[in-house]
Amino acid sequence: MKPLSKANNLLLRWTQSEYLVLGLTILLVLAVAPFTPELISTGNLRNILSYMLPLFIIATGMTLVMITGGIDLSVTSIIALTSVIGARLMSHDGGGLPSSGAVLVMLTLGASVGALNGAAITMLQLPAFIVTLASMMFVSGFAVWLTQSKNIYGLPESFLALGQRLPIALALTAALALAAHLILHRTVAGRWLYAVGINPTAAHISGAPVRTITVSAYVASGFCAALASVLLTGRLETASPVLGRELLLDIIGATALGGTSLFGGRGKIAWTLFGVLFLTVLDNALNLLNLSQFSITLTKGLVILLAAVLDALRVRFHIHTPA
Amino acid sequence: MHSTHSSPLHRWLALPLVLFAAAAFLMGCSKSEPPQSTPGGTKQLTVGVAFETLQTEYWVAGFEAIKAELKQRNITMLDAVADQDASRQLQQVKTFITRGVDGIILVPKDAKTCIPMIRAANEAKIPIVLFNRPADKTDAVSTAVVADNRTLTRDTVGYMIEQARKTNSKHKAMIVLGDLGDINAIGRRDGFEDALKGSESIIEVVARVPSEWNQEKAQAGVVNALQANPDISFIFTSSDFLLPSITSALKAAGRYKRINEPGHVILGGFDGDRTAYQMLKDGYMDATGVQDVYFEAQQSVQALLDRQAGQPVREVILDPGFVIHQGNLKEKAARMWGANIRSK
Repeated sequence: MKPLSKANNLLLRWTQSEYLVLGLTILLVLAVAPFTPELISTGNLRNILSYMLPLFIIATGMTLVMITGGIDLSVTSIIALTSVIGARLMSHDGGGLPSSGAVLVMLTLGASVGALNGAAITMLQLPAFIVTLASMMFVSGFAVWLTQSKNIYGLPESFLALGQRLPIALALTAALALAAHLILHRTVAGRWLYAVGINPTAAHISGAPVRTITVSAYVASGFCAALASVLLTGRLETASPVLGRELLLDIIGATALGGTSLFGGRGKIAWTLFGVLFLTVLDNALNLLNLSQFSITLTKGLVILLAAVLDALRVRFHIHTPA
Repeated sequence: MHSTHSSPLHRWLALPLVLFAAAAFLMGCSKSEPPQSTPGGTKQLTVGVAFETLQTEYWVAGFEAIKAELKQRNITMLDAVADQDASRQLQQVKTFITRGVDGIILVPKDAKTCIPMIRAANEAKIPIVLFNRPADKTDAVSTAVVADNRTLTRDTVGYMIEQARKTNSKHKAMIVLGDLGDINAIGRRDGFEDALKGSESIIEVVARVPSEWNQEKAQAGVVNALQANPDISFIFTSSDFLLPSITSALKAAGRYKRINEPGHVILGGFDGDRTAYQMLKDGYMDATGVQDVYFEAQQSVQALLDRQAGQPVREVILDPGFVIHQGNLKEKAARMWGANIRSK
């Protein structure tokens, strides 16, 4: 009986571990790699990395928002808007702004849309879901109107390099993730973010500037979406008013899968990295196994549902995992 | 601290893990390895087929036609669908390249985002064919097999104008446009305008409804146009997949009539899908331009093989398609992919 109990105990500890999703990713790779060795080939690993970097950037912003107990549905529309505005500014018609200037405008614009979202949520006391849904519709409609559904091509090489040269994209992503990690775990603002997510009233009573913290989370989310837009636009060499439109569920799914609570108050950048890594590797592995898109979508949906169930169970049974 | 007994929580948490581990293992086991060589000893060819979406009947029919064509030639097919996400499609194309496929057939999201994909295939020296959607001008090398959208639309609308002439009255017309970021939609719009030249005394275009290839937008636009111009009696849709939106709007306006009934709206489309076939058969639709999906699939595979063999291949291979109408329905139905889906 004793060995079984030990195994049981180990299993329980593992399910509670913050490395659960990373462990599942390793398990997935170990299970699939013998049948598709391409999964762990250098070329494929580079492919996985270049695809997951923009996702991770957006999910980083989403993590900050979800820790406060909110959600940002407008991220994909921010990607589209900043993509076409940045490209327009760099084009000859738009004045031929240098890449650095256009990137700066894109990031500022993303953060501004985030600030508007945050302001509407805190000042009007509206649910984040409704505010960011409305924002998503307005901003994406504006991007389509601005371009009349036309893509913009012929972007400068210096801009394309940001999305196409893996070391640059990796450095940008790592810098952002490190900054977000340090803010969450080494600053008072980080502790306030968790406090707002756990109980905004208690956070307010204990002196946390709830409104400022909430608005800041949405500003960060908008900024991250704009940075991801830079990478995606560069990668595809095209600015599009529908860029990233299909990414929303992957972003929220990966963040929740990592362990960031949909109920607020819990989350880590490292967890989000694990969630994004798992979802990207899963997608890639299923593709390599030559499964149909229907199976891939079904599997991903099931996995995200499992993550949500695990989250709900953790809340119900009050399992403590480090924030 | 931790109990050694199995609590309900243990079981709840363990269940997904056990299921996951089993599923991952089964997924691995279920993979059918493509054979590396044929019985004759020659290398077994593998082609990666990347579709942007499978959300309309046309793309499903195209996918199935390519699959059948490859099977017939004993070529292994790997497939991927990008769910309308160009970034994911780029990843999928690169995955094909990593797997060392011998050729790629691509249905891109649009004419521009596919260029990095073509370039990646070029760098890996893997021939790439674009199915039904060509790329914009680029130095990257590919072959596109596309319908002659402009000519086929011109001929379809030409047939509709002939029918309009027979009524001896002037008609107010509506065109439902596609996504004008899609070169196919532009070709169909231009074909419509070409056909109308010289027929201004018969046809007056009073509504150009944008749909962006979206059923809801199309329906709202058609409803609005019919309210503003209740006497519209000539409608062309840039794709048959928008027909349900149009028929719904016509029914609501009491204008959905068979060809021989008074008040019939002359109706034409493009694609040749299952709905169009049924409407032609039931006498509600006058004509549609059929994309010959079997021809396109056959030409796509042939172009890949030719490129692989180092033979010259044209940059664009045009599918002339054909107009199917009340006069030739029985004769042409066998070649209409929408009729074949229906009969399966």
